[in-house]
Amino acid sequence: MCIHGLKRGAFINPMARRVLNRGLRMSLPRSMVLIGIALIAWIPLRSANAAETSRSARERIAEAVTAETPDKQRELVLALKSDPTPDVVSWLEKWKEGAIYLVDDGNGGVVPVVLTGKQGADGGSSALRLSDGAPALSADGKPLLVNPDEVEAAETDSKLRKAMKEVTDLAALADPDITRRIRAIKDSAIGQNPEKLPALEALKSKEKDRDALRALDESIAIIRLKSASPDERADACKTLGELDSLAAKDTLKNVLADAEKSGDSVTAKAARQAIAAIDAHVAMINAAGTAFRGLSLGSVLLVVAIGLAITFGLMGIINMAHGELIAVGAYTTYVMQNVFASGLNLSPFGQSISIPGMNIASGGDWYFVAALPASFLVAALVGLVLERGVIRFLYRRPLESLLATWGISLVMQQLFRMIFGSNNVQVSSPAWLSGNWTVNDVDFGWNRVFVIGFAVLIIAATWLVLNKTPLGLLIRSVMQNRNMAACMGIRTERVNMLTFGFGCGLAGLAGAFLSQIGNVGPSLGQDYIVNSFMTVVVGGVGNILGTVISALGVGMADQVLQQYLGNPVTGKILVLGAIILFLQWRPAGLFVTSSRSLD
Amino acid sequence: MIAAALFLVVVMPAMNAGGWVSDFTLNVWGKYLCYGIMAVAIDLLWGYTGLLCLGQALFFSLGGYMMGMHLMLMIGKLGAYKSDLPDFMVFLGHSQVPAFWKPFYSFPFAMAMVLIVPGLLALIFGYLAFRSRIKGVYFSILTQALTYGAALLFFRNDLLMGGNNGFTDFRTLVGANLREPSTQRVLYILTAVLLVAVVAGCRWLTRSRFGLIQRAIRDSENRVLFSGYATANFKLFIFVVCAMIAASAGALYVPQVGIINPSEMTPDKSLEAVVWVALGGRGTLVGPVIGAVSVNSLKSWATRAYPDMWLIILGGAFVLVVMFMPKGIVGIPGQISSIYQWARRRWKPASATTDAVAPPQAADP
Repeated sequence: MCIHGLKRGAFINPMARRVLNRGLRMSLPRSMVLIGIALIAWIPLRSANAAETSRSARERIAEAVTAETPDKQRELVLALKSDPTPDVVSWLEKWKEGAIYLVDDGNGGVVPVVLTGKQGADGGSSALRLSDGAPALSADGKPLLVNPDEVEAAETDSKLRKAMKEVTDLAALADPDITRRIRAIKDSAIGQNPEKLPALEALKSKEKDRDALRALDESIAIIRLKSASPDERADACKTLGELDSLAAKDTLKNVLADAEKSGDSVTAKAARQAIAAIDAHVAMINAAGTAFRGLSLGSVLLVVAIGLAITFGLMGIINMAHGELIAVGAYTTYVMQNVFASGLNLSPFGQSISIPGMNIASGGDWYFVAALPASFLVAALVGLVLERGVIRFLYRRPLESLLATWGISLVMQQLFRMIFGSNNVQVSSPAWLSGNWTVNDVDFGWNRVFVIGFAVLIIAATWLVLNKTPLGLLIRSVMQNRNMAACMGIRTERVNMLTFGFGCGLAGLAGAFLSQIGNVGPSLGQDYIVNSFMTVVVGGVGNILGTVISALGVGMADQVLQQYLGNPVTGKILVLGAIILFLQWRPAGLFVTSSRSLD
Repeated sequence: MIAAALFLVVVMPAMNAGGWVSDFTLNVWGKYLCYGIMAVAIDLLWGYTGLLCLGQALFFSLGGYMMGMHLMLMIGKLGAYKSDLPDFMVFLGHSQVPAFWKPFYSFPFAMAMVLIVPGLLALIFGYLAFRSRIKGVYFSILTQALTYGAALLFFRNDLLMGGNNGFTDFRTLVGANLREPSTQRVLYILTAVLLVAVVAGCRWLTRSRFGLIQRAIRDSENRVLFSGYATANFKLFIFVVCAMIAASAGALYVPQVGIINPSEMTPDKSLEAVVWVALGGRGTLVGPVIGAVSVNSLKSWATRAYPDMWLIILGGAFVLVVMFMPKGIVGIPGQISSIYQWARRRWKPASATTDAVAPPQAADP
């Protein structure tokens, strides 16, 4: 240690010199302590560790920053491994980022400082000493103002950064946050460095969390794959196979190749078994993931198609504007989000409309709860206007209702463009809808789980409305035989209106949903309209259960084909082709409503 | 009608040759007339047979694509990459023309394909659909799905049909430079002649016994079926014929417009074409042509003058036509005279009693 100093012709250890320099500006007792420490530091580092831990992280890092040579800097940094507190990590980060500056201490030495506060008129910020957090003073005793552009930042070279990483990695292993700890444990296996084994073993003896223990087993086994003894390697392979370790697959393949080359049959056999076990696990994960995605896509289709099943299936109206009613729901969600936050400025037709916001702090989380009923109501209202204005004239002419509603859909799309702009608008998910739920390496996105749950809820609600309420009874009677229902004194006009409004409201709800899993833009509805018509036709017109089954079937088929073909578009095209062929087999869909009428 | 045909086939090109009609106008009219031919095909299906096909744009652009393949190969080394391959293939890293492209070097083969490919597709799809007695709105939805699927397919690069950008930058057709006004004039004349021939052919067809059965199928398919006619075969025949008519219009459209891409194929384009028929007047043969020309002239004007409002104008016009003008532009005189007669009947007893003025009603809804 001191050899370097001597070589440079200094009579005094640089560390001690710094301490002495500092001591000149300190009260006597403190400087005495520091001198004492400096004396202890004279002793070779390894034995000094015990004493070092008693000092604060800042001091020790300040010392490392000002060490004379890179080698010594590295040595000092590595010494921090004995007690890698979060404090140490944060200071090391600052150092790496170049946020620690070296200023002249007025005595020919340098002192490491961090800059705080705003820059003054001359570009200077007040400087705090790294070692104790006290303001650095200039030679005349005034607080020092430092311009970061004019002073030198403490530099790091690649070797030093590597040492720092060792310290931060070790700190991460002790991180109190379980997710970060697990990530650190998993990262520690990279490079298969056997030097990391003791730390991992030590952690394993005190770790309580099951996931963390699993990760530890995995990392330890991966590192042990590098072991010299074949038995130990085979044992590690076995452990990894039992753990279904995805991370180890590539390493295992390398081990297998090496073992085959060197004729190590024990390891080769174990590695082969482990790889087979992992492959089986991967196949399981893929299958489960595909099933989940299929289920969630099916739920989306279901939510989108259920409104259509009512307007088209029950009422026989081809509502090509159904997609735009979905977009109405999505845009309502967007407006609600902004109303809960800071408001919204729109400029349709050259007018400027500004909707004041409520500025609710947790609005980002709760706007969605309000948006669900709002989107239902707004879309239902738009639907009622359409029914009264256009569709009621076209009940007996289904082909023409198709054309008229297509005209309406064009007008509505253009209105969206004029009101909300032709770009997609930003709808953020509430915190409780983002994130994943991981079971056995399969990720379940919360928003998709929510979509599935919500689809179940909507179906249950629709079924209840149709089968258990007086309105449902009226709806069913009018749909079965309009004339007979009218003869029985049912006001069919009114029932039509309500049914159509209900169907459109469901479309609005679907829109609120789609805003959580996709883009919200003027052509949102167009992406879903063909598929949702297909879903209703396949399910059998006029049958809610058929719609449920066909939505899940179409969603599942789409995802499975996508998985095996590796191409979403080909999958979609095949699904469309399959639907056309399916209708050969069952022209009226899955569930046929039996009837004696011919057409 | 003969006068109109003469005007389109003879007078317009003559005026162009004489310099009274600009090349641009003639070219635009050529485009409108291609649309007119497609509209007649839609009308033959919808107005006369009761089959609302939302896939006519698919057949139209398939015909266009077949012509486009020939035109692409005729570019030769004049393309941006100076290669024998069409530019997009060079761009995608191909070194030779794929096998299914090679026969398209031959013009007669390409012309045959213009009719055969869409005809075959219509035959297969129609056979499947009509055999299982899919009709009404279900037929419309299925044709829409077919078109949607095909558009998705053509948007892909690995189909080797130009992907997103389609085919463009054509140079020559049977040795004639496509950028010469005289070539464009010949193409225009061909289009006009085809239109006249199609209208005349359809006129003959609809007035024959076949046309009678066709209309009977439209009005009550079951009765025709119970009278012993295989309605599926009648429908299949007319479906294939209409696909071929649309395809030949597409084949003439491509060299005049100079580009074909999958956006011509989307269900929206089919619906737009249905608007022309509805607006012009379905169930007549002149109506669709009038509709196609007038809607497209309106579009050319409105997309320049009021770009934001065009979709609203189109959509709004469509709703109004469907609701208040079921017979379209061609039906307007009939509607006016029926209103007039209704008002006169109403007015006669009214004049005897009070001065009640009946509000005129637009149409029977």
